[in-house]
Order: sequence, then C-alpha cells, then structure tokens
Amino acid sequence: MSSVQEINTSLKSLIQEFKHVLDQASSLHDLEEARVAFLGRKGRLARIMSRLPELAPEERPQAGKTANEVKTDLGRLLEIRKEELEKQLASHGDKAFDPTLPGRTPDFGSVHPVTRVIRDISNIFVGLGFEIVTGPEVETDFYNFEALNLPPGHPARDMQDTLYISETLVLRTHTSPLQIRTMEKRRPPLAAIAPGKVYRRDSDLTHTPMFHQIEGFLVDTHVSMADLRGTLTAFAQRIFDSEVKVRFRPSFFPFTEPSAEVDISCVMCQGRGRNVDGTTCRVCKETGWVEVLGCGMIDPEVFLQVGYDPEEYTGFAFGLGVERVAMLKYGINDLRMFFENDIKFLNQFA
Amino acid sequence: MLLSLSWLREFTPYKGSIDELAHRLTMVGLEVEEIVRPFAHLAPMVVGRVVEKKQHPGADKLSLCRVDAGTGENLSIVCGAPNVNTGQNVAVALEGTELPGGQVIKKTRIRGETSQGMICSEAELELGQDSSQIMVLDDALVPGTGLCTALDLEEFVLDIGVTPNRPDCLSVMGLAREVAALFDLPLHKPDLNLQEDRTRRCQDEVQIVIDDPAGCPLYQARIISGCSIKPSPGWMRYRLMSVGVRPINNIVDITNYIMLEQGQPLHAFDRDLLQGDTIRVDRSRPGLMFTTLDEQERELNDRDLLIWDREKPVALAGVMGGANTEINDHSTEVVLECAVFNPLNIRQTARRLGLHSESSFRFERGVDQVNSPFALDRAAQLMSELGLGRVFQGVSREDPRPCKPVRISFRRERANSLLALDVDQEYCGRVLTSLGCEVGEEGGAMQVTVPSYRPDITREVDLIEEIGRIYGLDKTPEHLPKVQKSLHEKTLDNEYRFLEDIKQWARGLGLQEVINYSFVGMAELDLLEVPLEGRVKVFNPLSEEQDVMRTHLLPGLLNTLKHNLGQGNTRLKLFEAARSFEQDSSSETGGRENNRLALLLYGRRYRGHWPHPEDDADFYDLKGLVENLLGSFGGFEGRFVLHKKHPYLDPAVECLCLEKSLGMLGRVAPDKARSYKARKDIWYCDLDLDLLQSLGSLSRPQFQQLPRFPVVKRDMTIVSPLELGYEQLHQVLQDAGVDILEDISLVDVYLPPEKQEKKLTLRLTYRHQERTLKDSEVDKEQQKLADLLLKKLPVGFA
Ligand SMILES: [Zn+2]
Repeated sequence: MSSVQEINTSLKSLIQEFKHVLDQASSLHDLEEARVAFLGRKGRLARIMSRLPELAPEERPQAGKTANEVKTDLGRLLEIRKEELEKQLASHGDKAFDPTLPGRTPDFGSVHPVTRVIRDISNIFVGLGFEIVTGPEVETDFYNFEALNLPPGHPARDMQDTLYISETLVLRTHTSPLQIRTMEKRRPPLAAIAPGKVYRRDSDLTHTPMFHQIEGFLVDTHVSMADLRGTLTAFAQRIFDSEVKVRFRPSFFPFTEPSAEVDISCVMCQGRGRNVDGTTCRVCKETGWVEVLGCGMIDPEVFLQVGYDPEEYTGFAFGLGVERVAMLKYGINDLRMFFENDIKFLNQFA
Repeated sequence: MLLSLSWLREFTPYKGSIDELAHRLTMVGLEVEEIVRPFAHLAPMVVGRVVEKKQHPGADKLSLCRVDAGTGENLSIVCGAPNVNTGQNVAVALEGTELPGGQVIKKTRIRGETSQGMICSEAELELGQDSSQIMVLDDALVPGTGLCTALDLEEFVLDIGVTPNRPDCLSVMGLAREVAALFDLPLHKPDLNLQEDRTRRCQDEVQIVIDDPAGCPLYQARIISGCSIKPSPGWMRYRLMSVGVRPINNIVDITNYIMLEQGQPLHAFDRDLLQGDTIRVDRSRPGLMFTTLDEQERELNDRDLLIWDREKPVALAGVMGGANTEINDHSTEVVLECAVFNPLNIRQTARRLGLHSESSFRFERGVDQVNSPFALDRAAQLMSELGLGRVFQGVSREDPRPCKPVRISFRRERANSLLALDVDQEYCGRVLTSLGCEVGEEGGAMQVTVPSYRPDITREVDLIEEIGRIYGLDKTPEHLPKVQKSLHEKTLDNEYRFLEDIKQWARGLGLQEVINYSFVGMAELDLLEVPLEGRVKVFNPLSEEQDVMRTHLLPGLLNTLKHNLGQGNTRLKLFEAARSFEQDSSSETGGRENNRLALLLYGRRYRGHWPHPEDDADFYDLKGLVENLLGSFGGFEGRFVLHKKHPYLDPAVECLCLEKSLGMLGRVAPDKARSYKARKDIWYCDLDLDLLQSLGSLSRPQFQQLPRFPVVKRDMTIVSPLELGYEQLHQVLQDAGVDILEDISLVDVYLPPEKQEKKLTLRLTYRHQERTLKDSEVDKEQQKLADLLLKKLPVGFA
C-alpha cells in the first residue's frame, strides 16, 4: 500500500533527477533519451502514476493533480533545455561538421545546344501565337521541291545539294515541305513553325551533311511585308540582343516573292567589323553584318499548289539554320563540335 | 560573277566610291561577297628606262644595265635576258619589293657586280607565260610611273553572288544596266561599226539546219577569214586576267570577252576542220562517244544536244566544243557560233557529265535571245578591229522560235498592299522603266512589257518584287502581325511537345543529350548483326560511313562513346531522342520514321568519389531510369522479360508496357563493345517513343479517396533458388486475393557466398479502407500468403 507522502516524495525527486539528467545532456539525442526515460509510455513518471490506484479513494484526486502538475513541469523543463541546447549547438556546432565537403549532388544533365536554341526560338514564336509542326525527314520530291516552285531542272535546285534515297525520295533539304503539308491539312489563318533535321550533300569546315532548321510561316488575308519585317526584327532582337540591328537584303528563293535575306549586326564585334584589340572580326569578315535567315512573301505558285487563291490569301515564310544561331549566340567557332558530342562541350549547356 | 570596275565604267559613268557601289548592289539583291584587288601584288613595281647596257665583265650571258627608275639616280641592275637593250622601258622591281612568287628583291652582288633591283619578265610578274625575255613597255612612259598605272591594270573587281533568277547580271552590260538604274546614270551600249568584206557572203558559205527547234531557238554564225592566231593585246589579256579568265589566243579571248561583257557565250570553229557547208543542230545518238576540248572522251545519250558538220559532231551544244574542230596555231578561217539553247537541255547534259563551263552556266540560266545578234556583231567587229581577219558579209541564221515579249498588267494597289507601301503610279512607272520595261496603259490598268533579258519576270508579283527591291526592302514599314487562330482547331504540335518533355525529363535525371547523324555506315549495322531487310539506303552518300539511314540508334551512340573515350571522358550518361528509319512500301515517303529514345550508361555510377562507393553503373541503374520514364509518362509499371538471344545485347531484356513491346534494354555484347574501344560494360536501351506517347495519351489521372486508417507492415524473408525471378514471387502474392494487402516491396536481397540460393526480404503493407486493422487479422493474412508461396513455388522461409 503506497502513501501520498511516498508518491509526493517520488515526484519531487523525479523533478530533481530530471533536472540533473537534462544538465548532463549534450545533444538532442540525449534529450530524446531522457524524454523516453522520464515521460515515455513506460517511463518513470508513468510508473509512479501507475501506483495511484493503490491510494485511498479520497487521496487520489489530490495526488493525481500533483502528478499532472509534475508532468507539466517536466515537459516545460525539457522544452527549456531543448531550446538552450539548440542555441548552443547552433552557435558552437558539432566540430566535425564541415559544410564545405561536397554534397551528394545528383548529376547535371544537359540538353544539346541545338535543342536549347530550338526551344528558345520556339518559345518566342509560340508567344506570338505560332504552332509547332513536325513532318517526315525522308521526303518526296514533290513536297521538298515541286510544290515549292522548284520543278525538275530548275537551276535553283543547285542551291541545295541533295541526298537522294531514290528517284522520287530525298532526305529533306529544308523544313519548308511542312509549309505545304500544313497548308494541305488546314485552312488559313495559319501560323506555324517547323523545327527539325535537314540534310545536304555537303561536308567541310562550314557544312555538315545534317543540320537543323526552323521554318516559319503565316498565312492569312492581308499579310504584308511589314508583318514579316516586324516579326523577324522582334525575333532577332529577342534571340540575340535588344540592341541588335537588322537589315533586309533582296534575294531569291523559288518559293517566296519578294525574297530577302536577313542580316544582323555582328554580335561578336557589335557591327564594327573589328574586335576590341583592333584585329579584323572573323565572324562577319569585317562587314559588320552576319546573315541569319532567309525569308519572303509566299509565292502565289505555292498557294496554287495547295489550292489557296493567291488573290485572297497572302503570307510570309522564313527559314533559319539552328546551328548558325547557336554559334552566334554562344560563340561556338567550330561547326563539327555539334555532332562530336564531347561531353566537355555538352556540359557547357547544362 | 566578277565585275571589273573600269569595264563597268565603259558603259555607265559611275563616279562614286567602290564601297558605296558594293553596298548599293548588295542592298538590291546583288550581294557583293568580296572586293578584290586583282593586281595589288604589282603595286610596288615601277617603269624603268635602260639608259645604258654593257656586257657583264664576269659572265657572257649577263648584261650590266644602268636603269632610270625615277628614284633620282640611275640604278645598277644585272639582267640575264637576251632582249634587254638601251632605250627600252622595262618593268622594275626595286630593292625591298616582293615578287608575286614571294621572292624579295635585295641589293646583291652578281659575279662581282652590284645589282640594285630586277628587270622582270611577264612570267615573273604573273602577267603571262613568257619567262624567256623581259617585258618591254611603251616608250612613251615616264620612268618611275607605277606599273599598274602604266599598263592600266584594274584596281577593283567586285565578286558578286548572282542568284539563279538573274542571268542578266552574269554580264558587265547587265550589271551596268542595274547600276545605271540605281544611280540614275545614262547607259551606253558599245557602238557597232562593223566593216564587212562584201566580196564574200556568209550565207553562201554556211547554211544552218536546226533539227531540234525546242532545244535551239536561235543559231547564228559568221565567218572570219585570213586570221593569224597569236596572243591578244595586253589590255584584253589583263582585263580577262582581272576577272579570273586565263588568256589563250586572240580568237578564244574575244569569245570569252564578249561572253563576259554581253552574257552571250560564243564558240569558234576552225573552218578547215569542218566538213561540208552545213551546220546542223540535233540530238546525239545514244552511246555516241565524243571528245571535248579538254581531251576527255564522253559517252552521250539521245537527250544531249550536238552541233554537227556534214559528217560528225563538232560541239556539245552550249557546254563545250569538240577537240576535232578546235582553234589551233594554224587556224586561218573561223566559223563563229552565236546561239541560244534550251536551259533545261544544257543543264541536264552538264550535270550528267559533270561538265560545268562558263558557257553552260549562262545557258542553264537563260541567255537573252534578243541581244544575241548584237553580241555576234560586236565579237566580229572586235576581231576585225584587232586585225585578226576579214569578216564575210552577213550572218547565217535560223530562228525557229523567236522570243515573244512578256506583257503583264500591274496593279499599284496590289504592290502597296503586299509591300505595305504607299507609292504612286508615277513612281512605279519610273522604277520599271529604269529597269528596261516598257510601261503603257490599257483601260486604266498599267501594262508592262518586260525586256527579253529578264526571264525571271513573268507575273505581277515579280514586278512587285522589283518595286520593293529598288525602293529598298529595308526601308519598308514593319509591325507585328495579328495572329488569328481558331481555338476549335486541334493543335498540331503534339510530337514536338512530347519530345521536348522527354528531353527535359532526361536532363532532370542527369543525362546528357547527344545528337548524331541520322545516317551510318552499312558496315556498322552489319557489325551489330541487325537485319539487312528494311534498311533505307542513301542513293548518293558522301561516304561509306553515311550510306544508310539508322534502323537502330546504337551505332551513333557507340561512335559518341568512342569519341568521348578518346577524349578521356570515361563516365557517360547519355540520351538521344531521334528517329529510326525503316522501309515501308505502304508509306507515302517509302518508309517508317519512328521516334526512339536511347539511353546509354558507361562507367561509374556516381560523379564524385566521396561519399559514394566507386561502383560502376549496372543493369538496375538503367532499369530504374526506364521505370521512372514509364511512371512519368503515363503512370505505367513495365514488365521486363529476359530474352535468350538478341543481335547486340547480352543480357537482353524486353520492356513491355500494357503488354506492348516498348523496346529492349541490356548490356551491349562485349565483342561489339570492344570494336568501339569500350573497356567496361555499356548499358543501353532503345525505346519506342511514339508508342509511349500514344499509350500515355490514353491514361488520364483519376482521383481516388486518400486512405484514412493506418497501415500495418510485416516482413517476410524467403529462401529461393537462384533462377527464380522476383516477379514470380510478386505475382503469387498479388494474385492471392488478399484485399487488405496494399503494397509489396523488396527490402533486401542476400546472395550467400556459396550462391546456391538467395534470400529475399519482402515488406508487405496491409490496410483496411474503413477501419483500423487488428494484429491478429494481419497475422492470419500473412500466414495465408506464406502458405500460398510454399504451395506454388519451390521456396522456404528463413
Ligand atoms: Zn564582326
């Protein structure tokens, strides 16, 4: 049979002991052990409280109240010590802890610079309301040439040295066939870009037999040269630099009329033709301008191929080389690096 | 096209700077790629007068000259040429100057005598072939004058990139016309003043017969008699040289000169070598062998157009003359051909034979038929003026297809709306007139007659382009378009977006994207022992390494691996998203293009050393990526089945998704890996992205109520034979029909050193959806599952 005295004494000494244990504790782990030992489900306080039913019924409420007060006190002591300890640990720290050791860093992945540039360009045009279309890389002569106003025997076919699969099939030399394929599927208004791989029979320092192109086009009623110029100027200034100057030079493409080539002021020498050290700029060959894309108003002949009335609809189209943009944008000076895939190169585009 | 500035100025008095000219031409579509100074290397050479010539005291063949080169005192120069003489004006390279060949002139002693410069031959100055004697200049020249000035050598030549639609700009005359229009200058055509020998009539001597009028709309010939073949005068040779044409002899040089000036290719036959008095234009016979001027024998077909005399072919029309009637040192009578041939015809022949000449280049693009008679007369006049011979009266001519002028009606409003301009009728008329068009009116509409030299202008839009070109495309207004689109239309960009998502997924998992060529070598596919059937071959590949489209992505990635190993990169985690190509006769493009995803792991699993173990990546790293892919793009759990045999993977594991084969994963067979210099295992997979995309598009997230009651977990350690797959255990447990079994996960696999059996520890998670589970009921289910395993599989419990 326990007495109230006994229980009260036990509770008091419990507080003293707990204080002592808390003082000894030097880590949060020690505190947790102390908590379990004193306040846990099978801890010392619980054991004392399990003796309460042994008291006389009239003594129980008072003893129970005292026990609960002790429980609260213990909890409070624990919290105070915990705060103290946390502060201590934060200020002095664990001596072995070395934040300068390397972390468990997951690997850095990367997308190819070509993918990166295609994404940057696509985002600009998607923002303007363009869709993104894709199509086959092995293309029929019809879509790659004929429908684009390049009939057999046209001298402009020489502008693109072609890799053939058969008499009627080619590896597409540009992504322009997507103009035809999209217009066949849909009716204006149409605004789309077509990124993808293209192929030419050409391999030297400045040409690879495969490269990437983005074709873009917009067809509607009343589309004019001003729409084309506005679009491409905004594009060039967004992709390169808002200060970049843009110029339109008349040129020739069989599927546009009028046609133009677009130059931007050289991004390496800021259009001065010379580098800061006075040497001649090799990127623009001293001209201060670099060619970035070809464009024009869609030729009526192309509209006739897809059954659009050229009196009703007009449109513009443009095409640009992705590697060329990447070279200018990132200062890459050797085209071949794109397809060697040295990871020391790829790492730079993480 | 190389344009000599002084030649241009013969036809239009352009006085501005060369840079301004280059800029303006560039901005109207005649891009000046380079400004060349063809004789810059001769700038330091001067005219010197030989004031005294003595025999060199120490050498029989050398002369000792005193030369006035305008330097103030006479120079002493030793000269070995036999023709040097007192009183001559000669070309002198002074001390310190560099000859074209690179030799720097120094003050030297030659056999005891001082030489302070060099008297040069044509060959030493690269102005001709003759190295046997020094060049003797005009007596009237003042010593000290620069050689370039003395010889009137061209200072500037523009290298212009002429687009294929502008054959008119392949001549000095055509470019002069453009320059005159741009700078509002007069244009002078060269005067024609041909002196003919009226005693002989050309038509009496030579008749023209055209058997293929479609191939040859115009053929004309003149006869020049009493010729003597020799080098052309200096001015002509230097002018030809300035634009990159090698002088040959007076006749051939004049044909080249007129071609460059007028854009009309000409050909000269030695009349003595022509049989009969008929020149016939007709197709070749199939298999006919013909030797061209360059001494090459070529096999012709029945689409090639030939010029024939009575007996034999004498020229491959428009492409190259025949060796059998070539002008030679003994030629005296010349038949001068001036014709127009069908562009398509010439192009076919030139391309097939790989025989591209200045002549075929112009015929392929279109030669001005209307100007052709003028060009012939001008050539004949030059021959007569330069004293080559007598020109017989008249021209032998056949023109079965005369040129019809093109008339186009032009709407100013259309031009304004397409170009976003506001120009008036008068402006349009002025621009078109300046370009050679005749502008009239008919019923209020503008009617434009296009000059014959502009075959590119056939439609109203072509005239609109001319307005824009001359106005300056760079000066037209600009604004952003209003892009109108219907939201009802399905967007077309699913494929691009899916691939973009895949790439971002892979990047996020630490993989690096590579891009390889779509073509590889047949031998590389053979090495992998993949099927020969279905490969899409490139008909005209650049090399054997690029002669077939990839049926599998692996060769490209193995080449990337090899390149990286060579660069000392020994840890690779790569991916490529690209198409494979396979024949498919049912497809419009003859093949099936399939988007694939290849993953390749090589070398260590972790990047740094500490705190990771230094293990290499293995199958489970690869499989983990694939499982993550399936989970991320449709919430799938794949099924993985070991295959006994695979062309290039060992082990080879098939990945199935909703029971459809998504592709294979495994280790590249070591013998194949070794061919690419790999020393470690290459873990590789190749999956069908199109399939994954279509499966993924079917799965939509479906909300499920979150569980409200706690789980109970129980472990179970199973002893199983080595060959028993984990999936079988999993399957038995899953199919047991225990409703409260929520999850089965593998906690540990233990392979004892003797390796006769393995121990697998599974953790089973139980949960009831509507109440808290009692220990006793979980114990019961756990026992039930254990019994089931014992019954169905050859396993025991630890
Ligand atoms: Zn520059």
